[in-house]
Amino acid sequence: MTQKQFFKHKRTSLITSEIDNLKKTAFDVRKKVFSMILTAHASHLASAYSIVEVLVYLYQKVLHLNPSKPASPNRDRFILSKGWGVSALYVLLSKKGFFSKKLLNEYCKDGSKMIGIATRNGIRGIEATTGSMGHGLPIGVGLAKAMKLQGKKNRTVVLISDGECDTGSTWESILLAAHHKLDNLLVIVDYNKWQSFGRTNEVLNLEPLINKWKAFNWHAEMVRDGHDFYQIDKAFKKCFVVRDKPQVIIAHTIKGKGLSAIEDRNEWHYQTPRENEIKVAKLEGLI
Amino acid sequence: MKKAYIDTLTALMRSHNDIITITADMGFSVYENLQKEFPTRFYNTGVTEQASIGFSTGLALSGYTVFFYAQAAFATMRCFEQVRLDVGYNNLNVKIVGVNAGFSLNQLGVSHFTQEDIGLMRLIPGMTILSPGDPYEMKWALLQAYQIDGPVYIRFSKVGSKDIHKTGDKLKVGHPFLISKGNQSALIVSGGMLELAYDAVKELEKKKIKINLYTMPTVKPIDKIAIRKILALYKNIFVVEEHNIIGALGSAISEITSESASKSIITRIGVPDIFTGVTGSIPYLLDLNGLSVNKINSKILTTLTKRH
Repeated sequence: MTQKQFFKHKRTSLITSEIDNLKKTAFDVRKKVFSMILTAHASHLASAYSIVEVLVYLYQKVLHLNPSKPASPNRDRFILSKGWGVSALYVLLSKKGFFSKKLLNEYCKDGSKMIGIATRNGIRGIEATTGSMGHGLPIGVGLAKAMKLQGKKNRTVVLISDGECDTGSTWESILLAAHHKLDNLLVIVDYNKWQSFGRTNEVLNLEPLINKWKAFNWHAEMVRDGHDFYQIDKAFKKCFVVRDKPQVIIAHTIKGKGLSAIEDRNEWHYQTPRENEIKVAKLEGLI
Repeated sequence: MKKAYIDTLTALMRSHNDIITITADMGFSVYENLQKEFPTRFYNTGVTEQASIGFSTGLALSGYTVFFYAQAAFATMRCFEQVRLDVGYNNLNVKIVGVNAGFSLNQLGVSHFTQEDIGLMRLIPGMTILSPGDPYEMKWALLQAYQIDGPVYIRFSKVGSKDIHKTGDKLKVGHPFLISKGNQSALIVSGGMLELAYDAVKELEKKKIKINLYTMPTVKPIDKIAIRKILALYKNIFVVEEHNIIGALGSAISEITSESASKSIITRIGVPDIFTGVTGSIPYLLDLNGLSVNKINSKILTTLTKRH
Protein backbone atom coordinates (compact mmCIF):
# COMPACT_ATOMS: atom_id res chain seq x y z
CA MET A 1 0.00 0.00 0.00
CA THR A 2 1.39 3.42 -0.89
CA GLN A 3 1.48 6.17 1.72
CA LYS A 4 -1.36 7.98 -0.13
CA GLN A 5 -3.58 4.92 -0.28
CA PHE A 6 -2.78 4.27 3.35
CA PHE A 7 -4.01 7.64 4.51
CA LYS A 8 -7.12 7.39 2.30
CA HIS A 9 -7.78 4.04 3.88
CA LYS A 10 -7.24 5.60 7.30
CA ARG A 11 -10.04 8.09 6.79
CA THR A 12 -12.77 5.50 6.36
CA SER A 13 -14.18 3.45 9.22
CA LEU A 14 -13.30 -0.16 9.79
CA ILE A 15 -15.70 -2.58 8.15
CA THR A 16 -17.16 -5.54 10.05
CA SER A 17 -14.89 -8.13 8.45
CA GLU A 18 -11.81 -6.10 9.40
CA ILE A 19 -13.03 -5.86 12.98
CA ASP A 20 -13.65 -9.60 13.02
CA ASN A 21 -10.10 -10.22 11.83
CA LEU A 22 -8.66 -7.93 14.48
CA LYS A 23 -10.72 -9.66 17.16
CA LYS A 24 -9.49 -13.03 15.99
CA THR A 25 -5.87 -11.84 16.14
CA ALA A 26 -6.44 -10.44 19.63
CA PHE A 27 -7.83 -13.78 20.76
CA ASP A 28 -4.85 -15.63 19.26
CA VAL A 29 -2.47 -13.27 21.04
CA ARG A 30 -4.16 -13.90 24.38
CA LYS A 31 -3.96 -17.66 23.84
CA LYS A 32 -0.26 -17.58 23.09
CA VAL A 33 0.51 -15.15 25.95
CA PHE A 34 -1.31 -17.45 28.37
CA SER A 35 0.75 -20.45 27.32
CA MET A 36 4.04 -18.47 27.45
CA ILE A 37 3.37 -17.12 30.92
CA LEU A 38 2.14 -20.47 32.21
CA THR A 39 5.18 -22.32 30.86
CA ALA A 40 7.64 -19.77 32.20
CA HIS A 41 5.87 -19.41 35.58
CA ALA A 42 5.98 -15.73 34.81
CA SER A 43 4.01 -12.72 36.01
CA HIS A 44 2.26 -9.75 34.31
CA LEU A 45 -0.45 -11.76 32.54
CA ALA A 46 -3.07 -9.14 33.38
CA SER A 47 -0.78 -6.29 32.25
CA ALA A 48 -0.36 -7.90 28.85
CA TYR A 49 -4.09 -8.61 28.45
CA SER A 50 -4.87 -4.98 29.18
CA ILE A 51 -3.12 -3.77 26.00
CA VAL A 52 -3.88 -6.53 23.50
CA GLU A 53 -6.42 -4.64 21.37
CA VAL A 54 -4.32 -1.47 21.18
CA LEU A 55 -1.24 -3.48 20.20
CA VAL A 56 -3.13 -5.51 17.59
CA TYR A 57 -4.58 -2.33 16.09
CA LEU A 58 -1.14 -0.69 16.00
CA TYR A 59 0.59 -3.62 14.34
CA GLN A 60 -2.24 -4.42 11.91
CA LYS A 61 -3.42 -0.93 11.00
CA VAL A 62 -0.97 1.80 11.97
CA LEU A 63 2.72 1.07 12.05
CA HIS A 64 4.76 1.08 8.84
CA LEU A 65 7.33 -1.62 9.46
CA ASN A 66 9.30 -4.00 7.36
CA PRO A 67 10.04 -7.14 9.40
CA SER A 68 12.77 -8.17 6.96
CA LYS A 69 14.47 -4.78 7.46
CA PRO A 70 13.79 -4.07 11.13
CA ALA A 71 16.32 -1.23 11.24
CA SER A 72 15.07 0.57 8.13
CA PRO A 73 15.58 4.31 8.77
CA ASN A 74 12.11 5.17 7.45
CA ARG A 75 10.20 2.85 9.74
CA ASP A 76 7.69 4.04 12.30
CA ARG A 77 8.89 3.63 15.86
CA PHE A 78 6.86 1.97 18.56
CA ILE A 79 7.95 2.03 22.19
CA LEU A 80 6.19 -0.14 24.72
CA SER A 81 6.93 2.03 27.72
CA LYS A 82 5.00 -0.32 29.97
CA GLY A 83 7.60 -2.90 29.12
CA TRP A 84 6.20 -5.47 31.53
CA GLY A 85 3.40 -6.20 29.03
CA VAL A 86 6.00 -7.35 26.51
CA SER A 87 4.70 -10.92 26.16
CA ALA A 88 1.81 -9.63 24.01
CA LEU A 89 4.24 -7.56 21.94
CA TYR A 90 6.52 -10.56 21.37
CA VAL A 91 3.57 -12.54 20.04
CA LEU A 92 2.62 -9.77 17.62
CA LEU A 93 6.21 -9.25 16.46
CA SER A 94 6.47 -12.94 15.76
CA LYS A 95 3.11 -12.90 13.90
CA LYS A 96 4.42 -10.02 11.76
CA GLY A 97 7.53 -12.04 10.93
CA PHE A 98 10.18 -10.23 12.99
CA PHE A 99 11.30 -13.54 14.42
CA SER A 100 10.20 -17.17 14.46
CA LYS A 101 7.41 -18.54 16.62
CA LYS A 102 9.94 -20.86 18.23
CA LEU A 103 11.60 -17.91 19.94
CA LEU A 104 8.39 -17.28 21.89
CA ASN A 105 9.05 -20.53 23.75
CA GLU A 106 12.22 -18.95 25.12
CA TYR A 107 10.20 -16.40 27.10
CA CYS A 108 11.87 -15.91 30.50
CA LYS A 109 13.97 -19.06 30.19
CA ASP A 110 17.51 -19.32 31.61
CA GLY A 111 19.94 -17.33 29.48
CA SER A 112 17.24 -16.17 27.05
CA LYS A 113 17.08 -12.73 25.47
CA MET A 114 13.29 -12.92 25.57
CA ILE A 115 13.25 -10.99 28.84
CA GLY A 116 10.05 -10.31 30.78
CA ILE A 117 10.50 -6.56 30.32
CA ALA A 118 10.99 -4.98 26.88
CA THR A 119 14.76 -4.80 26.48
CA ARG A 120 16.67 -3.54 23.46
CA ASN A 121 19.12 -6.43 23.31
CA GLY A 122 18.92 -7.62 19.74
CA ILE A 123 15.37 -8.98 19.72
CA ARG A 124 14.13 -7.68 16.37
CA GLY A 125 11.39 -5.07 16.63
CA ILE A 126 12.10 -3.97 20.20
CA GLU A 127 13.09 -0.31 19.92
CA ALA A 128 13.85 0.63 23.52
CA THR A 129 14.57 -0.75 26.94
CA THR A 130 11.70 0.22 29.18
CA GLY A 131 9.85 -1.04 32.19
CA SER A 132 11.65 1.23 34.55
CA MET A 133 8.79 3.69 34.74
CA GLY A 134 8.89 6.91 32.82
CA HIS A 135 11.62 5.99 30.34
CA GLY A 136 9.62 5.35 27.17
CA LEU A 137 8.10 8.74 26.54
CA PRO A 138 11.32 10.80 26.86
CA ILE A 139 13.01 8.48 24.35
CA GLY A 140 9.98 8.71 22.07
CA VAL A 141 10.17 12.51 22.16
CA GLY A 142 13.82 12.30 21.04
CA LEU A 143 12.94 9.89 18.23
CA ALA A 144 10.09 12.11 17.03
CA LYS A 145 12.32 15.19 17.14
CA ALA A 146 15.00 13.38 15.13
CA MET A 147 12.37 12.43 12.50
CA LYS A 148 11.43 16.10 12.18
CA LEU A 149 15.08 17.19 11.91
CA GLN A 150 15.71 14.57 9.24
CA GLY A 151 12.59 15.61 7.30
CA LYS A 152 10.99 12.19 7.65
CA LYS A 153 7.27 11.61 7.42
CA ASN A 154 7.12 8.62 9.73
CA ARG A 155 5.63 8.49 13.19
CA THR A 156 6.58 7.61 16.77
CA VAL A 157 4.03 5.83 18.95
CA VAL A 158 4.52 5.28 22.67
CA LEU A 159 2.27 3.17 24.86
CA ILE A 160 2.51 4.13 28.53
CA SER A 161 0.78 2.87 31.66
CA ASP A 162 -1.35 4.91 34.01
CA GLY A 163 1.21 4.27 36.75
CA GLU A 164 3.83 5.95 34.59
CA CYS A 165 1.73 9.12 34.74
CA ASP A 166 3.05 9.40 38.31
CA THR A 167 6.62 9.95 37.14
CA GLY A 168 8.31 13.29 36.75
CA SER A 169 10.15 12.25 33.61
CA THR A 170 6.83 11.52 31.88
CA TRP A 171 5.53 15.00 32.65
CA GLU A 172 8.87 16.60 31.74
CA SER A 173 8.63 14.97 28.34
CA ILE A 174 4.97 15.93 27.96
CA LEU A 175 6.17 19.54 28.25
CA LEU A 176 9.04 18.94 25.83
CA ALA A 177 6.93 17.28 23.13
CA ALA A 178 4.35 20.06 23.13
CA HIS A 179 7.05 22.75 23.11
CA HIS A 180 8.58 21.16 20.01
CA LYS A 181 5.11 20.76 18.39
CA LEU A 182 5.79 17.09 17.66
CA ASP A 183 2.69 16.18 15.69
CA ASN A 184 4.44 12.97 14.61
CA LEU A 185 4.22 11.67 18.18
CA LEU A 186 1.24 9.70 19.44
CA VAL A 187 0.89 8.40 22.99
CA ILE A 188 -1.61 5.88 24.27
CA VAL A 189 -2.25 5.70 28.01
CA ASP A 190 -3.34 2.23 29.06
CA TYR A 191 -5.70 3.42 31.77
CA ASN A 192 -6.64 0.20 33.58
CA LYS A 193 -6.78 2.02 36.94
CA TRP A 194 -4.37 -0.32 38.70
CA GLN A 195 -0.81 0.38 39.66
CA SER A 196 1.65 -1.75 41.54
CA PHE A 197 0.11 -1.52 45.00
CA GLY A 198 -3.44 -0.32 44.46
CA ARG A 199 -6.05 1.63 42.53
CA THR A 200 -4.62 4.67 40.78
CA ASN A 201 -7.20 6.98 42.33
CA GLU A 202 -6.30 5.72 45.79
CA VAL A 203 -2.51 5.64 45.40
CA LEU A 204 -2.06 8.91 43.52
CA ASN A 205 -5.08 10.34 41.81
CA LEU A 206 -4.49 11.21 38.15
CA GLU A 207 -7.86 12.81 37.48
CA PRO A 208 -8.81 14.83 35.55
CA LEU A 209 -6.23 13.05 33.40
CA ILE A 210 -7.40 14.09 29.93
CA ASN A 211 -7.62 17.72 30.99
CA LYS A 212 -4.06 17.61 32.27
CA TRP A 213 -2.77 16.53 28.85
CA LYS A 214 -4.93 19.16 27.14
CA ALA A 215 -3.59 21.82 29.49
CA PHE A 216 -0.08 20.78 28.46
CA ASN A 217 -0.99 21.61 24.83
CA TRP A 218 -1.59 18.08 23.59
CA HIS A 219 -4.48 16.96 21.42
CA ALA A 220 -6.29 14.43 23.61
CA GLU A 221 -8.84 11.75 22.72
CA MET A 222 -10.69 9.47 25.09
CA VAL A 223 -11.55 5.86 24.30
CA ARG A 224 -14.22 4.67 26.70
CA ASP A 225 -13.60 1.00 25.92
CA GLY A 226 -9.99 0.36 25.04
CA HIS A 227 -10.87 -3.15 23.93
CA ASP A 228 -13.33 -2.02 21.24
CA PHE A 229 -11.63 -1.80 17.86
CA TYR A 230 -14.27 0.52 16.46
CA GLN A 231 -13.64 3.08 19.20
CA ILE A 232 -9.85 2.65 19.02
CA ASP A 233 -9.97 3.19 15.26
CA LYS A 234 -12.04 6.36 15.58
CA ALA A 235 -9.63 7.89 18.11
CA PHE A 236 -6.53 7.10 16.05
CA LYS A 237 -8.07 8.61 12.94
CA LYS A 238 -8.90 11.82 14.78
CA CYS A 239 -5.31 12.01 15.98
CA PHE A 240 -3.81 11.42 12.55
CA VAL A 241 -5.17 14.68 11.14
CA VAL A 242 -3.87 16.85 14.00
CA ARG A 243 -1.07 19.24 13.06
CA ASP A 244 1.45 21.04 15.31
CA LYS A 245 0.49 19.15 18.45
CA PRO A 246 1.43 15.76 19.83
CA GLN A 247 -1.57 13.52 20.46
CA VAL A 248 -2.62 11.31 23.32
CA ILE A 249 -5.32 8.66 23.49
CA ILE A 250 -6.50 7.89 26.99
CA ALA A 251 -7.72 4.32 26.59
CA HIS A 252 -9.90 3.03 29.43
CA THR A 253 -9.03 -0.62 29.71
CA ILE A 254 -9.53 -3.56 32.02
CA LYS A 255 -6.51 -5.16 33.57
CA GLY A 256 -6.59 -8.86 32.69
CA LYS A 257 -9.24 -8.36 29.98
CA GLY A 258 -10.16 -11.58 28.20
CA LEU A 259 -9.86 -14.10 31.03
CA SER A 260 -12.75 -13.67 33.45
CA ALA A 261 -10.85 -15.23 36.36
CA ILE A 262 -8.27 -12.44 36.41
CA GLU A 263 -10.14 -9.40 35.08
CA ASP A 264 -9.71 -6.21 37.09
CA ARG A 265 -7.76 -7.97 39.84
CA ASN A 266 -4.37 -6.59 40.71
CA GLU A 267 -2.85 -9.82 42.01
CA TRP A 268 -2.52 -10.88 38.35
CA HIS A 269 0.20 -8.29 37.98
CA TYR A 270 2.28 -10.72 40.03
CA GLN A 271 0.95 -14.26 40.00
CA THR A 272 1.29 -17.18 37.62
CA PRO A 273 -1.98 -18.91 36.63
CA ARG A 274 -2.82 -21.93 38.76
CA GLU A 275 -5.46 -24.67 38.73
CA ASN A 276 -8.51 -22.41 38.86
CA GLU A 277 -7.28 -19.97 36.21
CA ILE A 278 -6.26 -22.85 33.95
CA LYS A 279 -9.76 -24.33 34.32
CA VAL A 280 -11.40 -21.02 33.42
CA ALA A 281 -8.94 -20.46 30.57
CA LYS A 282 -10.00 -23.83 29.11
CA LEU A 283 -13.68 -22.95 29.44
CA GLU A 284 -13.05 -19.62 27.73
CA GLY A 285 -11.07 -21.18 24.90
CA LEU A 286 -7.65 -19.74 25.79
CA ILE A 287 -6.11 -23.19 26.07
CA MET B 1 38.15 25.97 30.74
CA LYS B 2 34.75 27.08 29.53
CA LYS B 3 36.38 29.00 26.67
CA ALA B 4 38.33 25.92 25.59
CA TYR B 5 35.09 23.95 25.89
CA ILE B 6 32.93 26.23 23.77
CA ASP B 7 35.63 26.92 21.17
CA THR B 8 36.29 23.22 20.65
CA LEU B 9 32.61 22.28 20.62
CA THR B 10 31.85 25.03 18.09
CA ALA B 11 34.67 23.82 15.84
CA LEU B 12 33.43 20.23 16.15
CA MET B 13 29.87 21.24 15.28
CA ARG B 14 31.10 23.16 12.25
CA SER B 15 32.87 20.12 10.87
CA HIS B 16 30.38 17.42 11.94
CA ASN B 17 26.70 17.81 11.08
CA ASP B 18 25.68 14.90 13.28
CA ILE B 19 26.38 16.73 16.55
CA ILE B 20 23.48 18.14 18.56
CA THR B 21 24.02 20.07 21.78
CA ILE B 22 21.41 19.85 24.51
CA THR B 23 21.49 21.89 27.68
CA ALA B 24 19.25 21.56 30.71
CA ASP B 25 18.91 25.34 31.05
CA MET B 26 22.61 25.93 31.73
CA GLY B 27 25.13 27.89 29.71
CA PHE B 28 24.53 31.58 30.36
CA SER B 29 27.41 33.45 28.65
CA VAL B 30 28.63 30.15 27.14
CA TYR B 31 26.14 29.11 24.48
CA GLU B 32 24.73 32.37 23.08
CA ASN B 33 26.79 32.32 19.88
CA LEU B 34 26.45 28.58 19.37
CA GLN B 35 22.68 28.91 19.66
CA LYS B 36 22.67 31.59 16.95
CA GLU B 37 24.97 29.64 14.65
CA PHE B 38 23.16 26.29 15.00
CA PRO B 39 19.48 27.01 15.67
CA THR B 40 18.43 23.47 14.69
CA ARG B 41 21.30 21.71 16.44
CA PHE B 42 21.18 23.40 19.82
CA TYR B 43 18.29 22.88 22.23
CA ASN B 44 17.64 24.12 25.72
CA THR B 45 15.35 21.47 27.15
CA GLY B 46 14.69 23.31 30.39
CA VAL B 47 15.09 21.91 33.87
CA THR B 48 14.26 18.36 32.75
CA GLU B 49 17.43 16.34 33.28
CA GLN B 50 15.64 12.98 33.34
CA ALA B 51 13.58 13.62 30.22
CA SER B 52 16.58 15.28 28.57
CA ILE B 53 18.62 12.10 28.86
CA GLY B 54 15.71 10.18 27.27
CA PHE B 55 15.40 12.89 24.60
CA SER B 56 19.16 12.63 23.92
CA THR B 57 18.74 8.84 23.75
CA GLY B 58 16.05 9.16 21.08
CA LEU B 59 18.30 11.48 19.06
CA ALA B 60 21.31 9.19 19.46
CA LEU B 61 19.23 6.16 18.42
CA SER B 62 18.46 8.13 15.24
CA GLY B 63 22.13 8.62 14.41
CA TYR B 64 23.07 11.86 16.16
CA THR B 65 25.93 12.42 18.57
CA VAL B 66 24.57 14.39 21.48
CA PHE B 67 26.55 16.60 23.87
CA PHE B 68 24.34 17.01 26.92
CA TYR B 69 25.39 19.84 29.24
CA ALA B 70 24.26 20.50 32.80
CA GLN B 71 25.68 21.17 36.26
CA ALA B 72 27.75 18.13 37.18
CA ALA B 73 25.51 17.49 40.20
CA PHE B 74 22.37 17.37 38.09
CA ALA B 75 23.80 15.81 34.91
CA THR B 76 24.79 12.73 36.87
CA MET B 77 22.90 12.37 40.15
CA ARG B 78 19.45 13.65 39.22
CA CYS B 79 19.18 11.39 36.19
CA PHE B 80 21.58 8.59 37.09
CA GLU B 81 19.07 5.86 36.33
CA GLN B 82 18.32 7.33 32.90
CA VAL B 83 22.05 7.59 32.14
CA ARG B 84 22.54 3.99 33.20
CA LEU B 85 19.60 2.41 31.37
CA ASP B 86 18.93 4.65 28.37
CA VAL B 87 22.47 5.70 27.49
CA GLY B 88 24.77 3.18 29.18
CA TYR B 89 22.93 -0.02 28.39
CA ASN B 90 22.49 0.97 24.76
CA ASN B 91 26.10 2.17 24.48
CA LEU B 92 24.90 5.33 22.76
CA ASN B 93 26.78 8.39 21.57
CA VAL B 94 25.57 10.65 24.32
CA LYS B 95 28.42 12.72 25.76
CA ILE B 96 27.45 14.04 29.16
CA VAL B 97 29.20 17.26 30.11
CA GLY B 98 29.14 17.97 33.84
CA VAL B 99 30.10 21.56 34.41
CA ASN B 100 30.88 23.35 37.70
CA ALA B 101 31.94 20.15 39.44
CA GLY B 102 33.57 19.96 42.87
CA PHE B 103 33.39 23.23 44.78
CA SER B 104 33.01 25.41 41.67
CA LEU B 105 29.74 26.88 42.91
CA ASN B 106 31.45 27.72 46.18
CA GLN B 107 28.81 30.00 47.65
CA LEU B 108 25.90 27.70 46.92
CA GLY B 109 26.49 24.88 49.40
CA VAL B 110 25.88 21.16 49.36
CA SER B 111 23.07 21.27 46.78
CA HIS B 112 25.59 22.42 44.16
CA PHE B 113 28.82 20.85 45.44
CA THR B 114 29.64 17.73 43.41
CA GLN B 115 31.98 15.13 44.91
CA GLU B 116 30.12 12.00 43.81
CA ASP B 117 29.69 12.29 40.03
CA ILE B 118 32.77 10.38 38.87
CA GLY B 119 32.09 7.55 41.32
CA LEU B 120 28.57 7.16 39.99
CA MET B 121 29.63 7.27 36.35
CA ARG B 122 32.37 4.70 37.00
CA LEU B 123 29.66 2.18 37.90
CA ILE B 124 28.19 2.25 34.40
CA PRO B 125 29.73 -0.38 32.11
CA GLY B 126 31.19 1.13 28.96
CA MET B 127 31.20 4.70 30.24
CA THR B 128 34.39 6.61 29.43
CA ILE B 129 35.20 9.28 32.01
CA LEU B 130 37.37 12.23 31.07
CA SER B 131 38.36 14.77 33.68
CA PRO B 132 40.44 17.48 32.01
CA GLY B 133 42.78 19.59 34.13
CA ASP B 134 43.63 22.52 31.88
CA PRO B 135 42.41 24.05 28.60
CA TYR B 136 44.71 21.77 26.62
CA GLU B 137 43.22 18.67 28.21
CA MET B 138 39.73 20.09 27.74
CA LYS B 139 40.21 20.43 24.01
CA TRP B 140 41.70 16.94 23.88
CA ALA B 141 38.82 15.51 25.94
CA LEU B 142 36.15 16.93 23.64
CA LEU B 143 37.87 15.68 20.50
CA GLN B 144 38.26 12.24 22.08
CA ALA B 145 34.64 12.23 23.24
CA TYR B 146 33.46 12.71 19.68
CA GLN B 147 35.78 9.97 18.38
CA ILE B 148 34.83 7.40 21.01
CA ASP B 149 31.90 5.20 19.98
CA GLY B 150 29.72 5.12 23.09
CA PRO B 151 28.89 7.17 26.15
CA VAL B 152 31.39 9.60 27.66
CA TYR B 153 31.25 11.70 30.81
CA ILE B 154 33.33 14.88 30.68
CA ARG B 155 33.74 16.54 34.04
CA PHE B 156 35.18 19.93 34.71
CA SER B 157 35.24 22.57 37.37
CA LYS B 158 36.06 26.24 37.63
CA VAL B 159 39.60 25.58 38.74
CA GLY B 160 42.11 24.53 36.12
CA SER B 161 42.10 27.44 33.70
CA LYS B 162 45.87 27.88 33.69
CA ASP B 163 47.74 26.11 30.88
CA ILE B 164 50.02 23.43 32.28
CA HIS B 165 50.58 21.42 29.12
CA LYS B 166 52.90 22.39 26.31
CA THR B 167 51.61 22.39 22.76
CA GLY B 168 52.28 19.01 21.23
CA ASP B 169 51.94 16.95 24.42
CA LYS B 170 50.64 13.56 23.31
CA LEU B 171 47.75 12.44 25.50
CA LYS B 172 46.10 9.04 25.19
CA VAL B 173 42.82 7.79 26.63
CA GLY B 174 43.48 5.63 29.70
CA HIS B 175 47.10 6.66 30.06
CA PRO B 176 48.91 8.89 32.54
CA PHE B 177 51.10 11.65 31.12
CA LEU B 178 54.32 12.71 32.82
CA ILE B 179 54.26 16.47 33.38
CA SER B 180 57.48 16.83 35.35
CA LYS B 181 60.11 14.31 36.23
CA GLY B 182 61.40 13.71 39.72
CA ASN B 183 63.48 11.05 41.41
CA GLN B 184 61.21 9.63 44.08
CA SER B 185 57.49 8.96 44.54
CA ALA B 186 54.76 9.83 42.09
CA LEU B 187 51.86 12.18 42.31
CA ILE B 188 49.02 11.36 39.96
CA VAL B 189 46.47 14.14 39.55
CA SER B 190 43.17 14.30 37.75
CA GLY B 191 40.99 17.20 36.68
CA GLY B 192 41.09 20.77 37.94
CA MET B 193 43.58 19.92 40.70
CA LEU B 194 46.33 19.78 38.06
CA GLU B 195 47.47 23.35 38.66
CA LEU B 196 47.47 22.92 42.43
CA ALA B 197 49.43 19.68 42.17
CA TYR B 198 51.87 21.36 39.79
CA ASP B 199 52.44 24.17 42.28
CA ALA B 200 52.77 21.67 45.14
CA VAL B 201 55.46 19.70 43.31
CA LYS B 202 57.34 22.94 42.49
CA GLU B 203 57.17 23.91 46.14
CA LEU B 204 58.59 20.56 47.24
CA GLU B 205 61.45 20.98 44.79
CA LYS B 206 62.59 23.93 46.87
CA LYS B 207 63.02 21.45 49.73
CA LYS B 208 65.03 19.15 47.43
CA ILE B 209 62.17 16.66 47.20
CA LYS B 210 61.63 15.85 43.56
CA ILE B 211 58.36 14.07 42.86
CA ASN B 212 57.20 12.76 39.48
CA LEU B 213 54.01 14.53 38.48
CA TYR B 214 51.60 12.64 36.25
CA THR B 215 48.32 13.96 34.95
CA MET B 216 45.52 11.47 34.38
CA PRO B 217 42.73 13.10 32.39
CA THR B 218 41.01 9.71 31.97
CA VAL B 219 39.40 8.09 34.99
CA LYS B 220 37.84 5.21 33.01
CA PRO B 221 39.01 3.11 31.27
CA ILE B 222 42.52 2.96 32.75
CA ASP B 223 45.40 1.17 31.09
CA LYS B 224 46.49 -1.12 33.93
CA ILE B 225 49.88 -1.84 32.41
CA ALA B 226 50.71 1.87 32.29
CA ILE B 227 49.77 2.23 35.96
CA ARG B 228 51.73 -0.90 36.95
CA LYS B 229 54.81 0.63 35.33
CA ILE B 230 54.52 3.58 37.74
CA LEU B 231 53.83 1.23 40.65
CA ALA B 232 56.99 -0.71 39.81
CA LEU B 233 59.09 2.44 39.99
CA TYR B 234 57.85 4.13 43.15
CA LYS B 235 56.91 2.98 46.62
CA ASN B 236 54.78 5.99 47.45
CA ILE B 237 52.02 7.09 45.13
CA PHE B 238 49.81 10.09 45.87
CA VAL B 239 46.55 10.62 44.00
CA VAL B 240 45.07 14.11 44.07
CA GLU B 241 41.56 14.97 42.89
CA GLU B 242 38.58 17.16 43.72
CA HIS B 243 36.15 14.34 44.47
CA ASN B 244 35.12 12.22 47.41
CA ILE B 245 38.11 9.96 48.16
CA ILE B 246 35.66 7.11 47.54
CA GLY B 247 34.92 6.21 43.97
CA ALA B 248 37.12 8.21 41.62
CA LEU B 249 40.76 8.05 40.47
CA GLY B 250 42.22 7.33 43.92
CA SER B 251 39.93 4.32 44.22
CA ALA B 252 40.68 3.17 40.68
CA ILE B 253 44.46 3.30 41.25
CA SER B 254 44.05 1.55 44.62
CA GLU B 255 42.04 -1.23 42.98
CA ILE B 256 44.72 -1.77 40.35
CA THR B 257 47.41 -1.75 43.04
CA SER B 258 45.63 -4.23 45.30
CA GLU B 259 45.18 -6.65 42.41
CA SER B 260 48.83 -6.55 41.38
CA ALA B 261 51.98 -7.77 43.06
CA SER B 262 52.98 -4.19 43.83
CA LYS B 263 54.17 -3.14 47.25
CA SER B 264 53.43 0.50 46.55
CA ILE B 265 51.29 2.40 49.01
CA ILE B 266 48.58 4.63 47.62
CA THR B 267 47.67 7.80 49.48
CA ARG B 268 44.40 9.30 48.34
CA ILE B 269 44.27 13.05 48.66
CA GLY B 270 40.74 14.13 47.93
CA VAL B 271 37.61 15.39 49.60
CA PRO B 272 37.06 13.42 52.83
CA ASP B 273 33.87 11.38 53.05
CA ILE B 274 31.87 14.09 54.80
CA PHE B 275 29.50 16.79 53.56
CA THR B 276 30.84 20.33 53.49
CA GLY B 277 28.21 22.38 55.27
CA VAL B 278 29.75 25.82 54.91
CA THR B 279 30.25 28.42 52.22
CA GLY B 280 33.39 30.33 51.24
CA SER B 281 35.81 31.01 48.41
CA ILE B 282 36.93 28.08 46.26
CA PRO B 283 40.49 28.09 47.73
CA TYR B 284 38.98 28.23 51.24
CA LEU B 285 36.71 25.21 50.63
CA LEU B 286 39.46 23.24 48.93
CA ASP B 287 41.89 23.97 51.77
CA LEU B 288 39.24 23.02 54.31
CA ASN B 289 39.13 19.64 52.62
CA GLY B 290 42.90 19.22 52.45
CA LEU B 291 43.31 20.45 48.90
CA SER B 292 45.83 23.32 48.95
CA VAL B 293 49.54 23.44 48.20
CA ASN B 294 50.33 23.50 51.92
CA LYS B 295 47.98 20.72 52.94
CA ILE B 296 48.91 18.48 50.01
CA ASN B 297 52.59 18.92 50.76
CA SER B 298 52.23 18.41 54.44
CA LYS B 299 50.39 15.14 53.71
CA ILE B 300 53.13 14.09 51.31
CA LEU B 301 55.93 15.00 53.75
CA THR B 302 54.29 13.26 56.70
CA THR B 303 53.73 10.14 54.64
CA LEU B 304 57.29 10.07 53.30
CA THR B 305 58.78 10.64 56.77
CA LYS B 306 56.63 7.91 58.33
CA ARG B 307 57.57 5.37 55.71
CA HIS B 308 61.29 5.99 55.60
